[in-house]
Amino acid sequence: MSSSRRGAGYAAAQAAADAARLVATVARETTGWDGAAGVAAQAAALAERLDALAEADAEAFAAALAALDARSRDLPMRMQHAADVPLEIARTAADAAEVARLAAERCDGVLRADAVGAAALASGAALAAAQLVRANLLVAPDDPRAAEAARAAEDAQYAAARALDAGS
Amino acid sequence: MDADAQLVGRCLGGEQRAWDELVERYSRYVYAIVSQGYRLRGPDAEDAFQDVFLRVYDRLGSLRDPEALRPWIGQLTRRVCLDRLASSSREEPTELQPEDVEATLEELDEAFAVREALGELPEECREVLDRFFCRDESYRTIGEELGIPSGTIASRISRCLGRLRQRFE
Repeated sequence: MSSSRRGAGYAAAQAAADAARLVATVARETTGWDGAAGVAAQAAALAERLDALAEADAEAFAAALAALDARSRDLPMRMQHAADVPLEIARTAADAAEVARLAAERCDGVLRADAVGAAALASGAALAAAQLVRANLLVAPDDPRAAEAARAAEDAQYAAARALDAGS
Repeated sequence: MDADAQLVGRCLGGEQRAWDELVERYSRYVYAIVSQGYRLRGPDAEDAFQDVFLRVYDRLGSLRDPEALRPWIGQLTRRVCLDRLASSSREEPTELQPEDVEATLEELDEAFAVREALGELPEECREVLDRFFCRDESYRTIGEELGIPSGTIASRISRCLGRLRQRFE
């Protein structure tokens, strides 16, 4: 496998970053909502964090692939270490879904579809990241990070469901 | 009367504790300009730092608008740094670009203005803003740490940002 290949963690972080940027745009374009600027600021901060996490995941993924190619003895340790980045992606994507939920409930009607779409995207990203955490921790099934990532994915799913309700 | 104006009044009234407070409040600001803006290091940075507060002590009575304490200290610090760079550049030319210095100083000014405004917010707001924007904590973590439902954190942060914004309007 090419060491320059980017994996699902990178894609999940990028998808959640795009979702957060969409929320920021929806909030900025909404009129008559007192908290809009604050939600836009939070969404922009989350997008920046997710961009950085995407790069961090690409590096961690490349290091894990290199260890795999070299049949390195410390591969299990590297895999466990590599769970940290997707866990952070899952948590941050859940927050992106939460601001999207808030935007879906308060934004202008014409912008609601974008906010709902952002919530769905962020929720999917959180789920993908949680799955990666689980895969990286197969050799350590009692590691609490797997449960934590699963909780983040559930939070995101709940937020997305509420956003969808607001849009229906 | 704002906090700086009160502090200036107490300093000029001869209250020693007020001078200590002034140094404490502005030491980071001055040091940031010296080290990040003008990139002075080691003994040069320490000498400039001391020199700034000596000048503040000597000249505070000439400050016309006590509410403008921060920009006044900022200006004094710039002059001290430029004097120091001018004397040292005779021995070793400086590579500082004026536009880079200006950009850094603008960022520092903005950062310190935000820090001051944050200090005026209620503790509950300072706490959530610090946790979210500075420590990158998730809504769930913030909620668990503060005993607040995580579904209300984003709205709470928005309200607090609104209050912070009011400080600048």
